[in-house]
Amino acid sequence: MASLRYHFAIFCAKGTKFALNLMGRGATTLPGKVAAKIDPKILAKLCKDRDCLTITGTNGKTTTTHMITDIFRNCGYEVVTNVSGANLLSGVTTSMIFGLKNMKKAEKEGRKVICVLETDEAAFGKIACQIMPKVSVVTNLFRDQLDRFGELSHTRELIAKGLDSCEAEILLNSDDSLVSELYKGREARTSFYGFSERAMRENNEKYPGKSGLLPASSDAEYCTGCKEKYTYTARSFGHLGAFACGKCGKKRVAPRFFVEYDLARNPANEGYEMTLCDAGAGRSESDATTEDTVTTRKVVKLPIPGTHNMYNAMAAVSACVRMGEKMGDTKNLSFDQAAAALEHVEAAFGRMEKIAIGSKKICVMLVKNPVGLDRALSLVAGAEDADGIYMLLNSNIADGKDVSWIWDVDFESKTFPKKVYVSGDRYGDMMLRILYSGVARERIDAQPMEVCAELLDRAISTTADGKCLYILPNYTSMLALRSILVKRYHLKDFWK
Amino acid sequence: MTEVTTANVNMSGKEIRICHMYPDLLNLYGDRGNVLSLIRRAELRGISVKLVPISIGDEFDPKDYDIVFLGGGQDAEQNMIRKDFVEVKGPKVKEAIEDGVVFLCICGGYQMLGKYYQEHDGTKIECLGAIDVYTVGEDVRYIQDTVYEADFLKDEGGTGDVSASQGSDVNACRLYGFENHSGRTYLGDSVKPMAKVIEGAGNNGKDGYEGAIYHNVYCTYSHGSFLPKNPRMTDHLLRLALKRRYGEEFELSPLDMSGEEFAREALLKYKEKGNTAP
Repeated sequence: MASLRYHFAIFCAKGTKFALNLMGRGATTLPGKVAAKIDPKILAKLCKDRDCLTITGTNGKTTTTHMITDIFRNCGYEVVTNVSGANLLSGVTTSMIFGLKNMKKAEKEGRKVICVLETDEAAFGKIACQIMPKVSVVTNLFRDQLDRFGELSHTRELIAKGLDSCEAEILLNSDDSLVSELYKGREARTSFYGFSERAMRENNEKYPGKSGLLPASSDAEYCTGCKEKYTYTARSFGHLGAFACGKCGKKRVAPRFFVEYDLARNPANEGYEMTLCDAGAGRSESDATTEDTVTTRKVVKLPIPGTHNMYNAMAAVSACVRMGEKMGDTKNLSFDQAAAALEHVEAAFGRMEKIAIGSKKICVMLVKNPVGLDRALSLVAGAEDADGIYMLLNSNIADGKDVSWIWDVDFESKTFPKKVYVSGDRYGDMMLRILYSGVARERIDAQPMEVCAELLDRAISTTADGKCLYILPNYTSMLALRSILVKRYHLKDFWK
Repeated sequence: MTEVTTANVNMSGKEIRICHMYPDLLNLYGDRGNVLSLIRRAELRGISVKLVPISIGDEFDPKDYDIVFLGGGQDAEQNMIRKDFVEVKGPKVKEAIEDGVVFLCICGGYQMLGKYYQEHDGTKIECLGAIDVYTVGEDVRYIQDTVYEADFLKDEGGTGDVSASQGSDVNACRLYGFENHSGRTYLGDSVKPMAKVIEGAGNNGKDGYEGAIYHNVYCTYSHGSFLPKNPRMTDHLLRLALKRRYGEEFELSPLDMSGEEFAREALLKYKEKGNTAP
């Protein structure tokens, strides 16, 4: 009997978690793996008749998921979500199983329940048909460990497959030419979010960025259809911007949800203010002028610094609004309420959370791919409280064995803080990358991974009072760093 | 595309002109670091650099350049440039090669200079045929850190602060890279291999050699980036190009490479430690 199988799967998942916790280990994926072995349809059963929302893309998934979760909670919802990184079938299933108790309790009390699920972009194609999300967000597509995941067009095909296996309302980044193409054939259920084209253009004119010696390796300079080079009327970063193909006429679709911003102040700093806009269902930025009364505008403080987080924030608010429309709850999930709730979002560990250590601060930013590193370096360059930077580079299987991607990033246009610290198994590679960007050798303290904890002590102790040390690890070096912070600086570990 | 002249320092009165081919399409695995290396080690010697990126539809004139760089790309991108490279720029590229212009070609760029690339199903894709090599695609992909030994670098050690222990001939001849290719390249008689394989697969996993040299053309499968970790190789290419431009009496001044040596030693430590973590 199917239901017996289901209950047995859940029972085994709980047993697995119990055993793992006894061993002092976190249980974010293995219980779900066990359950799915016993009942391959378990995730579909867990998600059935529930309101699910998925977030996928190469960058910004975790932060967007986290923002959406906080907004729903602030709007009175019970939320089940997955732990950062546990975004394959196993991790999503695990989160749903251990969210059951709270979901059932809330359902009994008449509170609304929502499942906010981060899904790996390659796994999305396979698991979307089980989750059957009501709303599905695609953030962006940037190169990410090409040797493991293959080419970006392939990743996009996988996402398309997932979108076609469900009936979700689709929310796409209008400024990413690779992502916005998913619109084709799915027009009726797609809406867009992005930066205001006018704001991008005006900022490009007023504050032309410092350009490096060589442009960064780009992912999408050419139209995927007719191989013509895109022209841009405005750009934000990477290949994101208002693109157009002169040959086939493909171009950025004006988004319904858009951000108006001014770079007179740098979004790298706390309390940055921007305006979130909603042109209304069926309308877009091009219908919206400043006098337009239909368009809703709301000035909000960006809760997590960084230009890229302006995209994540807009994605999160749009997703909540679309979900409200889909569920018929526009009262609790109005644009104004979602935008107001956004301000109360707090950063998570490894995602810009600032942690006080005595009179100093540290801020950890996980960097896994070229655009992530580019954004992190750009943020550090613009942060007024930056006094030092500590970069860690490992090359274990989970990181990708190939570290050559650090050379795809435009370091040359970034200003480094006075003190530069480097560690990780590939500390030599990272030291050389920084050296070649023009930072003097004497400013770079590079040490092997074995002494990364001592180097952290030194980096913190040389940080001036009230200033911040920005730490940029990749995946496995972040795991190492986290346990060092738990042991040496008594920080609470997040999965406990 | 925009041309960049980095004439902030020009103490030597010398200039080097670098052509970066298809940087908007062939930009895989950090290959742009090679261009950064050439620029850095030229500029530190007071030699100004003129960097010209050219892409599909742009004119290529061999007279305009001392060094040409051609990297690797993803399949879709390589298919996009093939016609422009083979049919449009092809004759001029061959002319440049025969005329002794210095070339550095990585992976896909290397394969494209050869005669053809034979796909898994037997389909032959015509390539430029500027050098006597051909490539056969196979299923197993070589993805790993590599070490090679190149004899021609023996005399390249005299450029400054190499520590005594690491300043040996062996170290001087060592090249470090990272290979990532499913193509197997085979060399004809008019082409020499660039180096002996110490670790890794090299050209084809069989004959123990890596890369190819023909006139002043240097081809390799090494991403990584290749030149930053191999400053003697960078200097070798710069010297060839500058001697060709300014005459045999041109001398490349010694230049510190302690930063690069530090990175090479760190890499050795990493390799010795072994790496089996997940």
